[in-house]
Amino acid sequence: MNTKKTTGRRIGGIFALLIALVWVFPVYWMINSSFLSSATLAQLTPTWVPFGGTFNNYKTVMDPSSGFTSSLQMSVTITLLSLLFCIVFAFLGALAISRFKFRGRKSFVVAIIVIQMLPAEAMFIAQYKMISSLGLLNTVVGISIIYIATVIPFTLWMLRGFVAGVPADLEEAAMVDGCTRFGAFMRVTFPLLAPGLVASGVYAFIQVWNEFALASVLLTDESSRTLPLWLRRLSEFSNVGGYPNWGEVMAGSVLVAVPVIIFFLIVQGRMTQGMVGGAVKG
Amino acid sequence: MTTPAMTPSRLDDSPAVSKKPLGKILLPYLLVLPALVALLVGMGYPLGWQVFNSFREYGLAAQFGTASPEWVWFENYTTLLSDGTFWFILVKSIVFMAITASMTMILGIGLALLMKAVSRWARLTLQIAMLLAWAMPIVAQMTVWGWLIDKRNGVINYVLSWIPGVDLIGHDWLVNPITFYGIGSTIIVWASVPFVALSVYAALTQVSSEVKEAASLDGASGWQMLRRITMPIIRPVITILFLLQLIWDLRVYAQIRLLQDFGAGGTKYDLLGTYIYSLGIGQNQFGLASAAAMIVMFFTIGLSWYYVRQLLKEDN
Amino acid sequence: MKKMTRGIAAFAAASAVVLAGCSSSEGETDETTSPDATNTAGGEATAAAQDVKLWLMGTDTPDELIQYLKDTYAADNGGTLTVEQIGWGDAISSLTTSLPDSANTPDVTEVGNTQAATFTTVGAFMDITDMYEELGGDDLLQGFVEAGSVGDTVYALPYYFGSRMVWYRKDLYAEGGVDVPTTLAEVTEVNASLKEQEIAGAYVPGQDWRDGISWIFANGGDIATFDGSQWASALSSDESVEGMKQWQELFTTASVASVTDDDSSAYQAINDDFLPGLPAATTMAPNWAFWSLGDLSENDEGEQVATWNDETFGAYVLPGVDGGVAPVFAGGSNIGISAATQNVEGAKQLMQIIFSDDYQLMLAENGLGPANTTFGETYAEVAAMGDLSLQAAESAKLTPAAPGWASIEEQQILEQYFAAVAEGGDVASLAVEYDEKINSLING
Repeated sequence: MNTKKTTGRRIGGIFALLIALVWVFPVYWMINSSFLSSATLAQLTPTWVPFGGTFNNYKTVMDPSSGFTSSLQMSVTITLLSLLFCIVFAFLGALAISRFKFRGRKSFVVAIIVIQMLPAEAMFIAQYKMISSLGLLNTVVGISIIYIATVIPFTLWMLRGFVAGVPADLEEAAMVDGCTRFGAFMRVTFPLLAPGLVASGVYAFIQVWNEFALASVLLTDESSRTLPLWLRRLSEFSNVGGYPNWGEVMAGSVLVAVPVIIFFLIVQGRMTQGMVGGAVKG
Repeated sequence: MTTPAMTPSRLDDSPAVSKKPLGKILLPYLLVLPALVALLVGMGYPLGWQVFNSFREYGLAAQFGTASPEWVWFENYTTLLSDGTFWFILVKSIVFMAITASMTMILGIGLALLMKAVSRWARLTLQIAMLLAWAMPIVAQMTVWGWLIDKRNGVINYVLSWIPGVDLIGHDWLVNPITFYGIGSTIIVWASVPFVALSVYAALTQVSSEVKEAASLDGASGWQMLRRITMPIIRPVITILFLLQLIWDLRVYAQIRLLQDFGAGGTKYDLLGTYIYSLGIGQNQFGLASAAAMIVMFFTIGLSWYYVRQLLKEDN
Repeated sequence: MKKMTRGIAAFAAASAVVLAGCSSSEGETDETTSPDATNTAGGEATAAAQDVKLWLMGTDTPDELIQYLKDTYAADNGGTLTVEQIGWGDAISSLTTSLPDSANTPDVTEVGNTQAATFTTVGAFMDITDMYEELGGDDLLQGFVEAGSVGDTVYALPYYFGSRMVWYRKDLYAEGGVDVPTTLAEVTEVNASLKEQEIAGAYVPGQDWRDGISWIFANGGDIATFDGSQWASALSSDESVEGMKQWQELFTTASVASVTDDDSSAYQAINDDFLPGLPAATTMAPNWAFWSLGDLSENDEGEQVATWNDETFGAYVLPGVDGGVAPVFAGGSNIGISAATQNVEGAKQLMQIIFSDDYQLMLAENGLGPANTTFGETYAEVAAMGDLSLQAAESAKLTPAAPGWASIEEQQILEQYFAAVAEGGDVASLAVEYDEKINSLING
């Protein structure tokens, strides 16, 4: 029985490795191609390993004239700003609807759910008009106003589960021990909510970092482009006689992906634990 | 929370409410206020504009202020609802959503179970591979896949042609709408499975091994254990993940739009998101696009009504 | 929170290095702080320096020309010219949102010639009839002028043109024992023969209506006709159907491209090893494809470069049904001043620079057909394949200058029509079907 089990595990392990290979292949291919010259990539047979590769693609796409640095700055600023406000506002809202009963609570919850079902694509013109009349076109603040509103409903909904998951009795116990309500909350509830905050934060981060459709409408200036816009433009403009210059485009993709990979590696553990916590208890 | 069931929910949760200072009563409103204001500021005007203009014929001339939009009441709605193209795209979107979300869940759960069954190093390798795919921003994902399936010298056609009897060199996957959506679905599944797999795996780690051992001593088979012990524990996670996948896959826009950039556009390759976009900014029929968005919203509410009601019931 | 927002806003402003001076307050300060408009070339521009923004579509305008515009504008006006290249994919959405918005509109913008009518008919461009004579008058390409005018009022003028021609492989033609065709039917025969001998074929992308439309034009057909008040799609006219049938025959018997291909790879299709499988011996592309065709080699940077080789590569104009020259699609774009601009003088000055002899000459030298036909001769001499391009341009035709034309392009209706025909559909019934689709959009 024991040997049967280990053989099973071994087969499972090999299977897992094969799947890992399939999953990671697009990422590998992106990195591989980013080190190959356009002449190599133009050949009909693929080059599997970038032996004798080149950094030229990176040099070209990171050239100051390509606007990569300003796009990175723009993306990071917009994401941080939206994330900050979104998490704080959504968290306060989640507290209200999971810890208090108040008139209008139900309508608020329904509104939060319904808003998420509204397709965004028909509102671009109206959003443009609004942001433009506020004089905030091509600015971080302008687009963040919309992003915060777009991401809050889901974040709030997700956080509601986490807050409800922390029993109020714990807080009350602390209050009996002489803490104020606020003190009890900060000392008891908040630490338990940390994984939930990370999980919703990652969600908000992904939404904002990836968005390009609204950005292409609100950020038309060269200097205000976000990374998705920058990459989209690179793949449209970087070509040899109409045929994409895949080496440069892949180098651009690597650059856009790296910040997210780093971020994910940092928060990964907390994020999945948080997801489970919220769902199981909520 | 402690309210007896028959107490009208309108009342406050504690009988001591009348003695509470005004500040305590206002507290929930103060907490909700920032989110509410953010929503009103960011969504209020655009949403109002959309509702209003779904009843008007709002074209390019109106956009440039050279003609005032005409009030047409429900004409935009009736036009769409009697238009075969709109229904066709709606049905396509639902099928796309159902297939993509189910595939994501099946693969995700399967891989989570696999992670649980294999040795540490195999699991770590799989987890890292998942994480890398998950971290790819959408535009980067799509660009890379565009290169993988490139009809001229993409590596996927090259590798598939190794299979005896298969010659896919020069094959364009984005021609036939079926393979177009197939590729779109594959990319979305590839990108969403990691989230599902890692979350389900985290849930699985909460199933205590003592319970399992006890069950196995009682002679429960592996399948029985999965059904009776594991599933009940991970069900809440799966439910919420599945719902998320459904919402995201029905609203999919970015992936389809970017795929159209590589291949061809037009209603033949549209799903709801790209269709509404092309009605609006593409064809300058902003009234019609607004009406389409409203219909899709009502439709989604209808689809998820059961779930929303459950949610509200639980809430009380 | 307020402080925070302000900090972010300041950061945004700082990172927006060259935010064009288009907001009214900024314009005012410019007028008061930089009165040094004395060094203007024309002398008539006594107005104060204005910062203006120019939108160009895609990357067709070479960097060298953009630099020239910036330098000349700075010297003539004293203000700064900001040039932004908008991707063709975002062109319509960007123009739709920004043009009516006086605080953010580009002052001068290029617009695809096929999209011009859509915007001129709704008043997006400023009336520049009074500048028409000064900028070239009747010497300007008349087809494009019409595309940018409503009645007698001129809104947008031609920026550049490019006409399509046929590029071919001399070595492959020789190998198959075929000659350069002299009639439209021979184009099909020649390439079908090459394909039958398994030497090569023609690169006829299934969605490429911009090249395929020549078959309709050559047979006397049209996309749409104007009866004085309304546009009507004409795909189902006998001539148009006949043309499409010939194109369908070409596609089925001679093409090595697939139904969903579009013209994006057409520039390089006949290079060595470009296509997997049977190579292409014939393709259609504008004259600037010259720079992408030829013997391939690798430069020091590892980039693939093509060097034109007269021995193996050649070009000819697409022959008509009975010989001569078939009307081809006149590609190119128009340029005009936004009706919402706050910098009328600066925008007008920029237009003067663009239509100056120097700039027109530079366009010609870079292979872009100059808007002013008096430079045609120079163009024929200096531009690569300029003579053939000019020959083709003389009979080139534009798409209908109808208000709804941009929607038709945005919905890719003609792409779908051509692809359906390429798939082997019945031309006559498809033509009727697509006439209906076009009619529902073409009048705006």
